[in-house]
Amino acid sequence: MFDTREMAAAERVTDLRLVADKVAPLALARERTMPLLPALTSLFPEGGLRRGSMVAVGGVGATSLALAVAAGPSASGSWTAVVGDPGLGLAAAAESGVVLERMLVIDPRGQDAAGVVAALVGAVDVVVVGPGVRIRPADVRRLSSRMRERGSVLIRIGSLDEPGVDIGLRIVESEWTGLGVGHGLLRARRVRIETQGRGSAAQPRGAAMLLPGPQGAPIALGEHALGEHAPETEARPELRVLA
Amino acid sequence: MTGPVRTLVAWCPDWPVVAFGRGLDEPVAVVHANRVIAASPAARQQGVARGLRRRVAQSRCAELDVIERDEAREARTFEPVLAALDDITPRVEVTRPGTCALVMRGPSRYFGGDEAVAALVRDRMGDVLDGRTEIRVGIADGPFAAGLAARAAHPTRIVEAGATPTFLAPMSISVLERPELSDVLVRLGLRSLGAFAALPPADVLARFGDEGRGAHRLASGLDERPPDARLTPPDWSISTEIDPPADRVDRVAFVARTLADDLHQRLEHDGISCVRIAIEAETEFGETLLRLWRHEGALSAGAIADRVRWQLDGWLNGSAVTRPSGGISRVTLLPDEIVPAKGRQLGFWGGETEVDERAARVAARLQGQLGSDAVMVPERRGGRHPDEQLVLVPAATVELRGRSAGDQTEHAREVDGEVPPWPGQLPAPSPSRVPAKPHAVELIDADGAMVTVTGRGMASASPVSLGIRGRWLAIVGWAGPWPVDERWWDVDDHRRRVRFQILTDDGQARLVTLEQSQWWVTALWD
Repeated sequence: MFDTREMAAAERVTDLRLVADKVAPLALARERTMPLLPALTSLFPEGGLRRGSMVAVGGVGATSLALAVAAGPSASGSWTAVVGDPGLGLAAAAESGVVLERMLVIDPRGQDAAGVVAALVGAVDVVVVGPGVRIRPADVRRLSSRMRERGSVLIRIGSLDEPGVDIGLRIVESEWTGLGVGHGLLRARRVRIETQGRGSAAQPRGAAMLLPGPQGAPIALGEHALGEHAPETEARPELRVLA
Repeated sequence: MTGPVRTLVAWCPDWPVVAFGRGLDEPVAVVHANRVIAASPAARQQGVARGLRRRVAQSRCAELDVIERDEAREARTFEPVLAALDDITPRVEVTRPGTCALVMRGPSRYFGGDEAVAALVRDRMGDVLDGRTEIRVGIADGPFAAGLAARAAHPTRIVEAGATPTFLAPMSISVLERPELSDVLVRLGLRSLGAFAALPPADVLARFGDEGRGAHRLASGLDERPPDARLTPPDWSISTEIDPPADRVDRVAFVARTLADDLHQRLEHDGISCVRIAIEAETEFGETLLRLWRHEGALSAGAIADRVRWQLDGWLNGSAVTRPSGGISRVTLLPDEIVPAKGRQLGFWGGETEVDERAARVAARLQGQLGSDAVMVPERRGGRHPDEQLVLVPAATVELRGRSAGDQTEHAREVDGEVPPWPGQLPAPSPSRVPAKPHAVELIDADGAMVTVTGRGMASASPVSLGIRGRWLAIVGWAGPWPVDERWWDVDDHRRRVRFQILTDDGQARLVTLEQSQWWVTALWD
């Protein structure tokens, strides 16, 4: 019968799991990564978002960058939680690739934000913390170890130089295209991002991209493309006042 | 191989409505996650059906009374009904509040036949219900067929032993309650259970996997899973002492929660999940109470904990007859029927996943901690402004489990252009910051005069400087004005606004709106 076979298979799986538990290296969570949008992979040493890491984003455009980082895991099935950032543009989040059906937006109500984040770690894969939220260094240490254990990633908007950050992404140059004086429309923003960090992320990296791109999602540009003419990804005629 | 166990199912229709003590002649609808899950006959007559959105239901029946679902209450009010059956057989099984099942073999022999037991069950339940709702009783081979017999009953339907496949054959394939599977089968031309049951089992397994096999067995009048020869090891049960004995539900519920988590973890570790669980409570005077709960799928940790809480609530807050003689000193959970766990990955048909389950649980926990409107989820609405296209609604009003699988299709439809566009929306990219409260700003032209917009929608002059809280930023790019005249037919909600995109020399792009002769920053592209 199928059933006995199934039972035997279940038992085998159990045995295998026990063996796997025994031989698993302790640093397993560190090595596991979540996928990133293709435009962002060159910024991260592992080419993906390392589970358990704390990411900080800063500079003009930090919010778009945070959404772009969260979009990769979200598109591949993870839940995203946003803590203490009620003003986050939901339409922009959807355009950058965050799946809104798997998103929670939490208002800590003046209560301890670190406690809320700690509750979310492990239950959702990506936690985005808004720019107004302060977390005490002692809480950051506790959170970090909890994140490493549970494999969730914390993205902090605008807290680049705070302790505990594994990799910081800073937008160092940004330039909008599409908007003229009295005509046009915001179409895309060319940015240059530089990283700072510790451990494997200590070596600085850089990338140029359209963030947001014409449809909202980031589009990678060549390393030195900034300032040059960006490839026309979307043929949208510019509106001009003729008379 | 033995066939399915002869089972009696007693069903009280519209239980979620009855549980609130409402008369069935009042138009009442019970909603969960914004969808109607049950309606009184009076409401049904006006077109209120299961699955409707709350607003659609209200538009069909203006005097409709809408009540939020309370599962704990449903279980608590059903407990006295169950207690009335206790002296027919001690093992009454609850499928969900409003529906219970008993194994017929013993009672049928003792009371002298199926008809006698059915009459007795109707009698006992009728005494407790006192005419609040009707009772339908069905007897057939196996709980699935008995449940259908109860639905077809007026008021009793007994399917003779061995006649179950013939009884099931003409039924519509939709009674399997597997919408995706029945959808495919209907398109294959298999509209009845009989037609589906006629397929060779091996072919069904090959094409539709384990779920298809279960459905096929049900359609053929067999048990969903073949009987398992292996004995249930006795050590699956798990229990805990409560000292001092508790007579308040919240204390017992707290213990139950950890117990359920422990049990679930142990079962999961052994690759087993539980479809029926016995909940046993012992009082300080040695009295024991026992009730069986069944779940169509496998019971998750949350589902086990919910059922334990409902059951204890039913016992402790029940009528004087059912209430235990003292505080509860010990709670035991016995996984009564177990099946190999198939894992809770995204199934062939989509559906609930473990990540959804975890997210739903943390959402519920934070709601308890911070208040129910502190945890929100985005929902799509129509609108021209960034803050209108998507709004936040409390997570408590939507079903988070299975949300990602179900709603993505809705989103996909939108992307495919099936949902009509809103004229006057600004195109992508959308602003990444939409403050809840826009702040007032000043927009001036080269002469230092405030920029205004004429009645024909033209700017009075080119804006050159944007003043935010006393700080002046030079404008390096701008576009507009884009006027919006919304709800002009409504005196109170009428809004006239003019929008500009403004880029200043600090590199920040903003959506600036003129309304009531005042400029506001309504969104930012950060």
